[in-house]
Amino acid sequence: MKNRSHLVLCVDDEAVGLGIRQILLERAGYRVLTAADGASGLELFAAHPVDAVVLDYAMPGMHGGQVARKMRQIKPEVPILLLSAYLDLPAEVTSLADLYMTKGEGAPALLDKLGNLLSPPPASQSSARMNDASD
Amino acid sequence: MEFKRFKRTLRQVLLLPIVACLLLAGVLVWQISGANSTVGLIEDSDQRIALATLIEKLVVDEETGLRGYQTTSDPRFLAPFRDAEAPMQQAIDKLQSMARPEQQEDLKQFLAEHRIWRQVFAEPLIATIVGGGHADDLDLNLLGKSHMDSMRAHLDAIVAIATQGREGRVAHWRRQTRHLLFLLIGLALAIGLFVGLFTRGRLESAYAAFRHAIDLQRRRAEEIFQSEQHLRTTLSSIGDGVITCDAEARIQMMNPVAQKLTGWTESEALNRPLDQVFRIVNETTRMPVENPVAKVQRLKGIVTIGNHTTLLRKDGSEFSVDDSGAPIRNAAGQITGIVMVFRDITLQLKTRAALLANEKLAVAGRLAATIAHEIHNPLDSVANLLYLLQHEPKAEEAKQFIQMAQRELARVTQISRAMLSLYRESKAPVSVNLKETLDDLLLLMHRRFQILGVTVSAELPPDIVVEGFPAELRQVFTNLITNAAEAAGQGGAVTVRITPQTADTAASPALEAGAIVEIIDNGPGIPPENREHLFSPFFTTKGERGTGLGLWVSQGIIRKHAGSINLASRTDGPAHGATARVFLAAKPIIDPASE
Repeated sequence: MKNRSHLVLCVDDEAVGLGIRQILLERAGYRVLTAADGASGLELFAAHPVDAVVLDYAMPGMHGGQVARKMRQIKPEVPILLLSAYLDLPAEVTSLADLYMTKGEGAPALLDKLGNLLSPPPASQSSARMNDASD
Repeated sequence: MEFKRFKRTLRQVLLLPIVACLLLAGVLVWQISGANSTVGLIEDSDQRIALATLIEKLVVDEETGLRGYQTTSDPRFLAPFRDAEAPMQQAIDKLQSMARPEQQEDLKQFLAEHRIWRQVFAEPLIATIVGGGHADDLDLNLLGKSHMDSMRAHLDAIVAIATQGREGRVAHWRRQTRHLLFLLIGLALAIGLFVGLFTRGRLESAYAAFRHAIDLQRRRAEEIFQSEQHLRTTLSSIGDGVITCDAEARIQMMNPVAQKLTGWTESEALNRPLDQVFRIVNETTRMPVENPVAKVQRLKGIVTIGNHTTLLRKDGSEFSVDDSGAPIRNAAGQITGIVMVFRDITLQLKTRAALLANEKLAVAGRLAATIAHEIHNPLDSVANLLYLLQHEPKAEEAKQFIQMAQRELARVTQISRAMLSLYRESKAPVSVNLKETLDDLLLLMHRRFQILGVTVSAELPPDIVVEGFPAELRQVFTNLITNAAEAAGQGGAVTVRITPQTADTAASPALEAGAIVEIIDNGPGIPPENREHLFSPFFTTKGERGTGLGLWVSQGIIRKHAGSINLASRTDGPAHGATARVFLAAKPIIDPASE
């Protein structure tokens, strides 16, 4: 697993959860950038060659859906994994992300889904349909 | 026709025949007096005839006396001759005075003949006989006879004229009588016709007036009937029960709804005392409630009965009733009766209860999303930590991860406990620690404040305890804090503060021991036009997101806790925002009825 060195951007206003997620992803071999809100997340996204984004939905100020829409405008090819504590998000929000999962599904599920998002060559990422492949 | 005119007509009808009869009588009197004068004239004629006849008789007496004397020479035979002189003179004077002109001539000639007869024939004859001579000279006697014949002829002429005049007058009298008869018949006909026609005309106009009055009366009666029918229909159609009573609270009228609700028919209930038919008791104590009629009479105005009143129907079944009574006053303003309007509010109360339960759920629903978030976030961290622990042999790090996981789990437990206490309800009031209650709520709502971008500061001194129903108080505070946070908005601030209040009976108004909970936001404030509607049900400024029941329910709960709730607001200046202020008594007398 150490051979992976994709750069992943994690955005979440929950500091504890974000810290733990960072450790988890780093142990899994990713390089990780973290942001505590949508605005700083977008700055990092624009400034760094991010390979994938793990985005929390419910955040003060800009919610995950709004952040994802702006990211799509900047770099549409970067896959976005939308995380949420809520079970039912509106379809117009989930359709913006490549993948949507609820918090609490566990670390293997997260790593698996992120791995699937990143495993195909970068050229075909934007059109990837990972919902079926994720399980 | 007015009464005055009718009286005048009556007078006319009475007087006119009298006047007409008087007129007739006048004409009769005139006519009869005419006939009477004719009769007088006839009597004159009769008298003249009588006088002439008397004179003739006296002349005969004179001649007879004279002849007797002439034959016998006895002076006793001469007595009639002598005796006739005086009455004759009298009769002649009288006849002279009343003789008509055409008779005067005959009378004059008769007098002349008579004088001559006496002086030239009678007196010399008597003197001759007295002297002893013979008076049987033929010529003398013939002369005397011719005078006598002439006298008789003149008297006969007088009688004939008088008789002729009398006959003419009798004929005239007969004509007069006939005329009078015709006149009488004609006048009687005319007057009868006139009086009849006049009376008929007057009677007709009186009858027309009478008919008109009757018609008017009938039309009015019809109108009154229609109006009463209209009112009756209106009363019958009213969806509420309506009972009217007289001043002694005896039932006078019940509409169909009232009959249905009480189980009494109108005929059964008529004139019964109201409290036999309209039996109301307190829902919980089952004690009779003061009858609205008694209350109306006591307070002399419109009254309503309180909530939680139950009407006992005739068949023993019952339902919740809402009622009002109003006095019926006469023109002088005295109360002559009472009208009561009431309705079955069982469904309304059930609807209200459902609404309250729904609002409770809505509060929970609004919190559910944040609660899910609050639980899933620590659970996610714990799951990730467990994964790391599985793959991380380093003892140092493992210890750190376990500590982190414990902290996160403690957070879940806290949230879960706070959430459960939100719905836990006790039957009786319990001691509520306001700081703990508000801390729990702020914890549950923490996420929501973050999302809204609101900074919340709490000034919650410990150990302030009031008695109440904790779940209901949480509902109130959740509503007020949510309102404040939503009003404050992004970058706004909300302060939650508890201030203890000590009892002060000297203050005005007297202060009760308890606590004041203030929730202050620095939002735009409440526009003046909305302020009076704040506590009305279904009033919301949040569109689809709000039920419009939050403050209404909150007010009900606080009233039940014998507390008070008010909202102060400023929309201008730097101090804009709103302050919700709730007073809760430390030992309230909980009134379940005021909810």
